[in-house]
Amino acid sequence: MTVLGELSLWIALLLAGWACLMSFAGGALRRQDLILSGERAVYAMWGFVVVASLGLWTALLQHDFTLRYVASYTSSNLPRLYTLSAFWAGQAGSMLFWSLILTTYSAIAVWTNRSRNRVLMPYVSGTLAAVTLFFLATICFGDSPFARLPYDVIDGNGMNPQLQNPGMAFHPPNLYLGYVATTVPFAFAIAALITRRLDAEWLAAVRRWALVSWFFLTIGITLGMWWAYVELGWGGYWAWDPVENASLLPWLTGTAFLHSIMIQEKRGMLRKWNVVLVVSTFLLAILGTFITRSGVIQSVHSFAQSPVGVWFGALLVIALSVTSYLVITRLHNLEAKAELESMLSREAAFLYNNVLLVGIAFSVMWGTLFPILSEAVRGTKITVGPPFFNAVNVPLGLLLLALTGIGPLIAWRRASVSNLRRQFAVPVFAAVVVGAVLLVLGMREWHALVAYTLAGFVSGTILQEFYKGVGARMRMHGENPVVALLRLIVRNRRRYGGYIVHAGVVMLFCAFAGLAFKREFDVTLATGQAFTATDPYGHEWRFVSDGISRFDALNRQVTAVTLKPWRDGRAMPLIESEKRQHVDSRGQPTFEPSTAVGIYERASQDVYVVFTGQTGPDTAEIRITFNPLVWWVWYGGMVMALGGLIVMWPASDRTRAQGGYAAVMRPAARPARAGAAP
Amino acid sequence: MERTQRYSRREFLGAMGAGVVGLALPDRARGQDSQQDGQGASPGPRTTMSGPMRESAYRPVVLPPKPGAKSSMSDVQRDALEHQLHCQCGCTLDVFTCRTTDFTCPVSPPMHSDIVNLVLGGYTAVEILDAFRRTYGERVLMSPVREGFNWAGYVAPFVALGAATVAVGALIRRWRETPAPASAAGVGAASPADASGATPDEMARLEAAIRDDTH
Repeated sequence: MTVLGELSLWIALLLAGWACLMSFAGGALRRQDLILSGERAVYAMWGFVVVASLGLWTALLQHDFTLRYVASYTSSNLPRLYTLSAFWAGQAGSMLFWSLILTTYSAIAVWTNRSRNRVLMPYVSGTLAAVTLFFLATICFGDSPFARLPYDVIDGNGMNPQLQNPGMAFHPPNLYLGYVATTVPFAFAIAALITRRLDAEWLAAVRRWALVSWFFLTIGITLGMWWAYVELGWGGYWAWDPVENASLLPWLTGTAFLHSIMIQEKRGMLRKWNVVLVVSTFLLAILGTFITRSGVIQSVHSFAQSPVGVWFGALLVIALSVTSYLVITRLHNLEAKAELESMLSREAAFLYNNVLLVGIAFSVMWGTLFPILSEAVRGTKITVGPPFFNAVNVPLGLLLLALTGIGPLIAWRRASVSNLRRQFAVPVFAAVVVGAVLLVLGMREWHALVAYTLAGFVSGTILQEFYKGVGARMRMHGENPVVALLRLIVRNRRRYGGYIVHAGVVMLFCAFAGLAFKREFDVTLATGQAFTATDPYGHEWRFVSDGISRFDALNRQVTAVTLKPWRDGRAMPLIESEKRQHVDSRGQPTFEPSTAVGIYERASQDVYVVFTGQTGPDTAEIRITFNPLVWWVWYGGMVMALGGLIVMWPASDRTRAQGGYAAVMRPAARPARAGAAP
Repeated sequence: MERTQRYSRREFLGAMGAGVVGLALPDRARGQDSQQDGQGASPGPRTTMSGPMRESAYRPVVLPPKPGAKSSMSDVQRDALEHQLHCQCGCTLDVFTCRTTDFTCPVSPPMHSDIVNLVLGGYTAVEILDAFRRTYGERVLMSPVREGFNWAGYVAPFVALGAATVAVGALIRRWRETPAPASAAGVGAASPADASGATPDEMARLEAAIRDDTH
């Protein structure tokens, strides 16, 4: 199976080259036979990459340590889940995993458009095949998971303990699903630019793909934060690490696109901007991969620095050059079909929202790359850490939160004063109440105060919209409130799914603001000794050490400290934190010891305990952190993902009616001629 | 984490440039070596969360105590100060976070000891940061000092945002002064229905009902 897998990889590489060549040639020469051949090659390419992936999974499950990749990332005592997830634990495997997702998406894109967008499809297939060709080439010529060791090994190295976490088993796949999904809109954008068919047709084709990308990136980023929080043990979930930033960049531009696409759909505006956003989102996904794999920037998440990083740099330059040329030479095809009528309109609010989202993306990218720039200009190495990113991004984030509430309240085209007064009264009242209550309660952290006040405003907006919608349905259809709410969401998925996403954003901002009240304590406790601390809510906690225990688990030796906590004199569940020394199948230590955090989790706060060291047989050094509102990060992320899922859920054919600009410009209204000249 | 020989940035950028012009041919054997070393079995060089651990990176930062010195700050203030200093072991964490997280780190504990001694010696936070900067260079600070070229780092995002806002304002003004093409006149007036479950008629009725409700 391993040989078959390696062989399949090479065949897939040839097929990707064929698909690329035939598709572009078919599009340019208007030859249906070539176009079809290219599309069939896309399906075949997917099939062979699936076989190659099965080959690697088989090798992993069979512990085939003749393969360098299997020996490097697994061992015979590695739990099954992590043996499977070792597929993407190393560079070569993760590239194959990326190719698997890319070819799967490519096949789906070609299949779902087999009778639609026929003028665009040769170039879509060609672009998808070109990107696939790049990835398969990096595997075949740069870093192959099927490379063999020149000697025999009894057991493998095993997996880094920090990757032996359920979050790490699911975080990378979701992130990859999101990153790779940006390729399909990019391919449609390239096709639309080449064919100069830049109306709503290509947008309709890419909107759902953009949502798929956004959805998986949201889940991936949230899972990554959760993994960092429970596994790395430093008490936080976002460190503004370059690779974390790299995942945020396409998410930000993708979010901007999902807002601005509405303006083009409804008003025919922002056509240039939308192309730029789609292309930027793809390029930023590649930039993130480049950062991860090149070693050009130090990061917690870096893969080995290998020549593959250079390949990604080259891809970035080539893709940027080609798309810049295409956009510049097609600018006159991208003129707006309608004009903005008022600064006080929803389209104007979306414009401001886009400026802010892209501004935040720029500031994150700028801060991430600034050490390189500084070294190039001044020859001095500097560190750009959380203080910099917080100073720059907190004000921008608060502005964005405000716009999250303002945008949906303003009417399309032009808002009247009476409309504004009517729409804003309740949300502004909610904001004032929240702000006043917090001030009275003694909150003086102004960033947090502003964040919670704005959260009150946005929550007021969302609740008001749901209240009005439900009320309208109850009057129109005589439905009870629950049925009216469900039907309101189901029958207006884009609008109310979007509000649910906004609710998730509010939860996240509330959680981020909670960081201002974090409290940390470093203590040394012998068995039976106690430590008392006050949490941010004023509750008194008493922690008594229950002592240190030692035991063996599946593939590790564990030293654990157990704390018995009391809150205001009431006993709480035990909290245990572990030091783990992973061992191989012969019981020999592998890697350095790692920490398993003990967390007592509640919606109001986490009590986060880290066993940082041992100073005697029964004496432990412990860090205790009160982390307010962390719970809301995970559930805020889930609510956002749920909202995204609702928005992108397909409508039935019966109700696939669409209004606005898109309705005017869609293929049904202006049929595309298959095989027509670009 | 991965353990490999790192390229310097200059070497990397050079290699990347070569790659772009087609000169950086793939080096299969080298890639495999990197991969082999990518994860280590013991024994081997120690690693941080972000690469090889620079165990010898520690440099003493020692100053004589000020006359009649007494502690210049509380423990909480000292911890906050440690959050501003970058541990030099090769990780991406600050001194406080590294020493309380990675107990294998040999660099952050002595850095912490130096800070404690300087605090007991009566030195202020600014003086301590300066002393560390003199010893390790600017990279020891978790964020760039606001001076010289570093201002570009702080200001550029806001300048870019301001420029974009001005550009959008100018664009909107131009749009408002230019009448919309006749062909698009009816476009914006169309129903804002979307590709969800509602028909345009249902959406129109719902929109009307919501509007009525707001009067």
